Amino acid sequence: MSFFLQYAWLIPALPLLGFALITFTPLRRNKLASGWTATGLMGLAVVMALGLLVGVVGAGSTESHAATTTTETHGEATTETTESHGEAATETTETHGETTTATTESHGEAATEHKAAFTFPAPVVVQRFAWAPAGSTNFAMGIYVDTPVAVMLAMVTITATCIHLFSIGYMAANPRQSRFFSFISFFAAAMLLMVLADNLLLFFMAWEIMGLCSYLLIGFLYERPQAYRAAIKAFITTRIGDVLMLLGLVYLWTQAGSLAFGTAVGEIFNPEFLQRIGTETGFMGMTHATLISLLIFAGTVGKSAQFPLHVWLPDAMEGPTPVSALIHAATMVSAGVFLVARTFPIFEADGGMALQVVAIIGSFTALFAATIAVAQYDIKRILAYSTLSQLGFMVAAIGIGGWVAGMFHLLTHAFFKALLFLGSGAVIHAMEATPAIEKLHHHDEYAAQQTAQDIRNMGGLRTKLPWTFWTYTAGYLALAGIVPFAGFWSKDEILAHAMDHGHPIVYAVLTVAAFLTAFYMTRQWRLVFFGEFRGEHPVVFVNPEHQAEHHHHHGHADHHADDHGHDHGHGHIHWHESPTMTAALVVLASFAVTAGAFNLPFSMPGGHWLSHIWGQAGVGINWMVAGLSLLIASAGIAVGWFSYRNAFAKAQDTDPLDARVPTIFAMLNEKYRVDEFYNATVGRLTALLALLWSFLDRVVLDGIVNGVGHLTLFISRVNFIVDDTLLNDGPDAVADGTNAVGRQTRKLQTGRAQDYAAYVFAGTLALAMLYLYVIGK
Amino acid sequence: MTRAIPLEAVLVVAAALFCIGLFGALSRRNLIGVLMGIELMLNSANINLVAFWRYLEPRFITGPTFAIFVITVAAAEAAVGLAMIIAIYRSWNTVNADSVDSLKG
Repeated sequence: MSFFLQYAWLIPALPLLGFALITFTPLRRNKLASGWTATGLMGLAVVMALGLLVGVVGAGSTESHAATTTTETHGEATTETTESHGEAATETTETHGETTTATTESHGEAATEHKAAFTFPAPVVVQRFAWAPAGSTNFAMGIYVDTPVAVMLAMVTITATCIHLFSIGYMAANPRQSRFFSFISFFAAAMLLMVLADNLLLFFMAWEIMGLCSYLLIGFLYERPQAYRAAIKAFITTRIGDVLMLLGLVYLWTQAGSLAFGTAVGEIFNPEFLQRIGTETGFMGMTHATLISLLIFAGTVGKSAQFPLHVWLPDAMEGPTPVSALIHAATMVSAGVFLVARTFPIFEADGGMALQVVAIIGSFTALFAATIAVAQYDIKRILAYSTLSQLGFMVAAIGIGGWVAGMFHLLTHAFFKALLFLGSGAVIHAMEATPAIEKLHHHDEYAAQQTAQDIRNMGGLRTKLPWTFWTYTAGYLALAGIVPFAGFWSKDEILAHAMDHGHPIVYAVLTVAAFLTAFYMTRQWRLVFFGEFRGEHPVVFVNPEHQAEHHHHHGHADHHADDHGHDHGHGHIHWHESPTMTAALVVLASFAVTAGAFNLPFSMPGGHWLSHIWGQAGVGINWMVAGLSLLIASAGIAVGWFSYRNAFAKAQDTDPLDARVPTIFAMLNEKYRVDEFYNATVGRLTALLALLWSFLDRVVLDGIVNGVGHLTLFISRVNFIVDDTLLNDGPDAVADGTNAVGRQTRKLQTGRAQDYAAYVFAGTLALAMLYLYVIGK
Repeated sequence: MTRAIPLEAVLVVAAALFCIGLFGALSRRNLIGVLMGIELMLNSANINLVAFWRYLEPRFITGPTFAIFVITVAAAEAAVGLAMIIAIYRSWNTVNADSVDSLKG
């Protein structure tokens, strides 16, 4: 196992190698080879990550203090030896404002109430090297592996591999497939590096690389105005959060003098340091810890698309579906949650104020996004709002102190949401091959895709795409929270934590959100897979950009359809599921079914596994909460099923909800008009400021410049008169002399730049001689 | 490791590189060749910066810092230079340095 521990840095290095190979070698000309290279290297990373997980968990549970030493390759590296955190090891830590002296229990036993301040399990591997030593600042960079990191790495590599595999089939017809694989490999490398980072600066760098990859991939289909607009929107919106986060890091740096993870003196989780920033007042009566936490949390709000910066994520669905699955559902957006989890001691240091904000934002987003999802028609947008809502669950869980619950939900959600997105990708892929949409494809590619994504145009796909149907159903039941699928256990742990630790409002809000989740997912599942196929006469998406872009799209669309090689004109529909796509779906589906086993809330061997290896007390099963949430999920499913049982005989029908409460439905369908609100406020304000500046520039500044100009002109006129009449003869002679000299010297000016360069060189040489032989003597 | 190669040797390499670059910049008639010569001279300066840093004052990262600045400036210069060559080609239809003498007095 020591191999995996020692070479943990290979995990991000492998996809980075894939990125480099695809980008810089002739491999990029071969679409298939670049896809398999990226997938293969990702698969190797899975092996490394699983080996690391086994090694780290093994090191964490051995009784002995067998230290895992890390060796170093760099010249000036610091090697740290860390001790394993055994079950029987009792660590006395002094923490928190109240100076509670806590003893960490042996976690193998039953869950006990754990009131002490939060501590991370001890890291198993820390490798650092000095990065750009300058003056007295010696900033170390490196990797830091403890059990949460190891589990995250395993999750990210597994989902990424599945999604790479899926993409080989899904992107087969795209002419820029190599470019796609190069981007997602780069993304995976950044994500893994972020998880492994040993300090917040490296974390932030990787975080920004992910932002860049997200931007590139949302705008991957850059022929479409919608796609590049969505890319810019995502980039700018997340940048708002990131700038605040950077401010938070700078603030933390000024306080701690370091951004390194760890509890030693001079590192950011040092108990004395946390106590100090938790009590000292910084600004506006808030402690340093509150301010730092809130600034860092702004990064989370941007990246994890929490209200009010949530607007970019639904638009990000303009990217290819595997991108939506990997970046905008499974990994990157959960990075925000991981950030709060990673810096949890700082959030906690101020006695709960920052965490309260976190909990409020999270639970509000969970409910807010769930309501919007109810009234969407686009299969991917429903999932996007569902992602927002589930991220809200995680953020709220961490906000109420349910660290394990939040991270557990992050893991299970990554698997089943990636599965759902890939399933939707398979559905869209199949829909695009139906005659009605192929016909549309010929004159407007974008409208064809939007039409293919509209759940009103689907129906009855259960028998046509059986693999997709069964795997999608696993993901659906996991998201809806049905026992024993993964989502049930993690969602229930969040709810149980909220109930047990006295957060009834959070509990109530999340329960309502859970009900809506079951409802909107049933609606989608019912409309996509059951009933009659409605795609012969679809609701056609009207593309507002189409008129202007017509000719451009036309040529491309023809080419694209030829690639597919489908015969059109016949009524026959060729339904097909690609083998690599199906393989990826099956792997993810198995996780969606079983991932709950990682942290079963029972006191039995293997129960509370995540709590155990993360060294946190787990929440025991709360039968009342579990039963109630199961009941609520079933109710949501039942309501969804019966409301949509007879709905949509044909695609043009009205949604039953729309028929009953049209105003509310319209409001939800238009996403509470948040985008329009931002346009009217922030957008309008920016335009107004620009107008103001332009006025200032043209009228005020130009006025001054013009005034000076006129004044100068006037003075020069006066001067001219004086000159011409009084002082002319002497200067004339001088002018003649100058003229003669000029005639001679102009021969030097050949107009050739190289001659001038030679003069310069000669001059330099002369000066050097002067210095060496005259002045220097 | 660093003592195996004396500082003077590195400086000789840099000086040689500088001379090659200077010769290229002054004697080539093709403007792109001139630009290449300039790049060579800049790089020889970089070698000097890094060498003096490594041999004389390795504690601070001044040498590499300057070198990075030089590289950045060189990149910008190459971009501007190539843009100018293209502009020259468009109006004179040549990239021969001798034919471009409209600055002649």
